[in-house]
Amino acid sequence: MRSILITGGNGGLGLAIGRYFLDHDPAARIWLGVRANRSHATILAAAHPERCHLLDLEATDPAAWQSAVARILGADERLDVLVNNAGMHRDCLLAAMPTDAWHQVISANLDATFHGCRAVIAPMMRQRFGRIVNIASLSAIMPPLGQTNYAAAKAGVVALSRTLAKEVARSGITVNSVLPGYIETDALGEMDEETRKQARKGIPMRRFGNPAEVAAAVYFLASTDAAYITGAALKIDGGIF
Amino acid sequence: MQGDELRQQIKEVMVEELMLDYKAVEIGNKTAIFGAHGLGLDSVDALQLVVALEKHFGLKIGDSSAAKGVLENVETIAAEIEKSA
Repeated sequence: MRSILITGGNGGLGLAIGRYFLDHDPAARIWLGVRANRSHATILAAAHPERCHLLDLEATDPAAWQSAVARILGADERLDVLVNNAGMHRDCLLAAMPTDAWHQVISANLDATFHGCRAVIAPMMRQRFGRIVNIASLSAIMPPLGQTNYAAAKAGVVALSRTLAKEVARSGITVNSVLPGYIETDALGEMDEETRKQARKGIPMRRFGNPAEVAAAVYFLASTDAAYITGAALKIDGGIF
Repeated sequence: MQGDELRQQIKEVMVEELMLDYKAVEIGNKTAIFGAHGLGLDSVDALQLVVALEKHFGLKIGDSSAAKGVLENVETIAAEIEKSA
């Protein structure tokens, strides 16, 4: 049995990652970290009642993390994989950016990843096994205008992942980040057609990625096959560089 | 468990959990755990050791200042385990 916690469990990417584990690993038990908005996650959990559960988790709250991890350990007696997927955007040119837009995005993306990693390290060290996959973004290294906050947060996620990887390597825990580019989720759906067309032109593959393609990479990094991969930052972007 | 048997068990846990290049018998009860003149472990080892001591002996070490005193050598660890038993 393998116990997997995925934050941001109601979003397109979180759900795709959950589904990928459920479809490809019969031993996987999925915990989807969600907040008030959980309608999609509820449907997935209902379709897999023995193997997929919802977990109240405000990812920016350390106490919520303690409760979530305690609940998982109480039920499964182990926690094998953490996918820090929760995050948010509030795009704005820096000159006009409200202070709370800066803090909120840093908190939701970077602080949440810090709290999550810190909460799972001790249980994973006891097991001498763990896989942490942090969802960063191509914006960490190639940001568009208006994303100083998001780019800074995601660059922080990459740096945190690489540093933590060194700290826990001896304990059988790997820590990696993935950097998705343009992926067909609700966030991309908000783009107008002209912007989408221009974005596709900049992608060598001339198409957006789909969430299952990111999920496949996360699944691999969480597997025992990836045991010697740690501190990596994997771009999933159709060739943009 | 206490006495020599406890000290031996602590050394075996250290060798296994920290993947030390020593045999348990090579570790003296009063050999410094950290520092160049002892076993030469670092802060990452310290964290792993704290987790291992809780896992194998139920020993909870509250904070880093408490850890400094407890983790000096095998003897101080054993004394702390015996105290909390």
